[in-house]
Amino acid sequence: MKKTILAAALTACCASLSVHAAETVKIGLIEPLTGSVAYNGVSAVNGAKIAVAERNAKAGENGVKYELVVEDGQCQPSKTVSAAEKLIQKDQVPVIVGAFCSSATIAAMSVIDKYQVPMVSGISSKSDLTERGNKWFFRSAETDGLLARAFAKILVDQLKLKKIAYIGVNDDWGRGGISEFSSQIEAAGGETAMKLYFDHGATDFYTLLTRVRAAKPDGVFVAAETQDGSILVKQMKEVGLESQVFGVGSWATADFVKLAGEAAEGIHAAVPYAYTIDRPENKVFVKEYQEAYNELPGKYSAAGYNALNIVMDAIERAGEATPQKIRDALPATDYKGPNGTFKFTDKGQGYGFDAVLVKLHEGAPQIVDRATVTPE
Amino acid sequence: MFDLFLQFVLNGLVNGTFYALSALGLTLIFGLMRLVNFAHGEFYMMGGILGWVVTSQLGLDFFSGLVVVVAVMAAFGWLLDRFIIVRVRDKGPEPGILLTIGLAIFLTNTALLLVGTAPHKVVAPVSSAPLLLGPVIITKVRIFAVAVSILAIVGARLLIQKTKLGRAMRATFQDATAASLVGINTASIYASTFALGSALAATSGMLLGSIYVAQASIGGLISLKAFVVVILGGMGNFAGAILGGLILGVAEALWGGYVQTGTVDMVGFALVILILFFRPYGLFSIRAERA
Repeated sequence: MKKTILAAALTACCASLSVHAAETVKIGLIEPLTGSVAYNGVSAVNGAKIAVAERNAKAGENGVKYELVVEDGQCQPSKTVSAAEKLIQKDQVPVIVGAFCSSATIAAMSVIDKYQVPMVSGISSKSDLTERGNKWFFRSAETDGLLARAFAKILVDQLKLKKIAYIGVNDDWGRGGISEFSSQIEAAGGETAMKLYFDHGATDFYTLLTRVRAAKPDGVFVAAETQDGSILVKQMKEVGLESQVFGVGSWATADFVKLAGEAAEGIHAAVPYAYTIDRPENKVFVKEYQEAYNELPGKYSAAGYNALNIVMDAIERAGEATPQKIRDALPATDYKGPNGTFKFTDKGQGYGFDAVLVKLHEGAPQIVDRATVTPE
Repeated sequence: MFDLFLQFVLNGLVNGTFYALSALGLTLIFGLMRLVNFAHGEFYMMGGILGWVVTSQLGLDFFSGLVVVVAVMAAFGWLLDRFIIVRVRDKGPEPGILLTIGLAIFLTNTALLLVGTAPHKVVAPVSSAPLLLGPVIITKVRIFAVAVSILAIVGARLLIQKTKLGRAMRATFQDATAASLVGINTASIYASTFALGSALAATSGMLLGSIYVAQASIGGLISLKAFVVVILGGMGNFAGAILGGLILGVAEALWGGYVQTGTVDMVGFALVILILFFRPYGLFSIRAERA
């Protein structure tokens, strides 16, 4: 008899515990926190934390609370796979946000397919990710192709660039960006002078720039992240390369300008997000981000923020935090973020949000033009 | 066309000098102590980060800053040897390798924790405006960095060859027992050597941080390149490391200039494979010579 009471008490206690635990939904987040793109990965995590903090503040006493479980994917396929396995098996997250590098995301896509857990990437931009027929994968970011289509004509017509040299980081993102932009620019009447690549973490670009200078292009297109890009544009000035520069990557950020110094002046960049975008949602985000980290948000901060909001919207629509329910709720996404409205195509590709062409002037990205990312 | 070639060679030589300087600490510690220091790149990183702290945060000028950084890193190297490296001395190569790999991971993550992932700038003492030398372009800050590199290399060489401390170092590593019999305090000699190696790595980190950027996660890349240079020149061979650095710099520049820029990192490793195949003790190694 006593035993039964004890057992009943135990069940009661633990049942109430599990109900209590269910009020907190864990969301897995895989970004590179070490390695050559760690800096950008950390901004994505920072943006994600803002999104979660906003929701948790709004949830009050009885609402659903969210908890981020952050794993370091190091931008490497193998590390990202083990991070995804750990999040699903050990932390039992019902949904994952990540990863950063497209190659790492591809690797994780087979894991989420195996365990049937949805994943949203706000960053990986390789065009074919959403063409692989993986129904658990969604992307709330522009692809290289979408960005190239939006801006190639503007670059040729407005900046009057005829002969263009392409410099890109030697990975699928850099190579993909260059091939998309060069084919779109050629279609708009531009001419390709040369295409050169460098490895992640390279510091000396003199050899590469010497070759570019010898080709005398009107414009130089660069696909690079903050670290590589800022060193590159500085060395352009050092070797006396005076061509117009335009790029893709996280260029419209305060850090880029700080690192590149005067060399940043006059550079054009095609980016999905700049902190100067004039939208009420963006003003709120910039303010919160500045209060939390004492710096201005960049492209990846916004990407992390958006991806988390999209996921949390889906969880709220699903009503129950299970992988299947969340996955079923994701296609109905209609989220208003700092850079526009996000929706998904049948294949899980995001569209409807804005991309902007900015010119760096006196340390701030001025918006020159704006285009809405449309599905194919 | 020839101008272009000159520019490539010049770029290669400048880079080669930097490679030589950043590999010097590694080859010195290996040559004198028989310790393969996998944390070498992290010492370089610490030099860069400390350089940023003293120049940008504390507002010291470059040279006073360099003195502070060298002093701090030499003390750090000294303590590291006296309290940690000493435990794996004379226990064969594996414990030393494991220890330094662990140390590298620890240092990188501590740096990430303290200063974060953002790249930082060391304030350079001279301008980075372009300078035309006939047909080729270089910047003042690069000429300055090459000059400081050469000074550091020559200084280290003189210290080992001409001073009493240097003689004691060489004696200790030829025969530690005999050295202690003639009254050399071998424990402090080991520590001095490790301090010297750490200080050299930090010098290159700070110097190159003023041309490129200083970053907490740069260590791994630096170690890799330094190993290429050291294997090219022969493990522990002082002059070999310098030539190895220059060869690597010029080979990368010419490969990038005339073949493909995306594959320059391959050049060094291809060279290493060839060297290990045909001259396993390095290009310039005479087997008996140490440092």
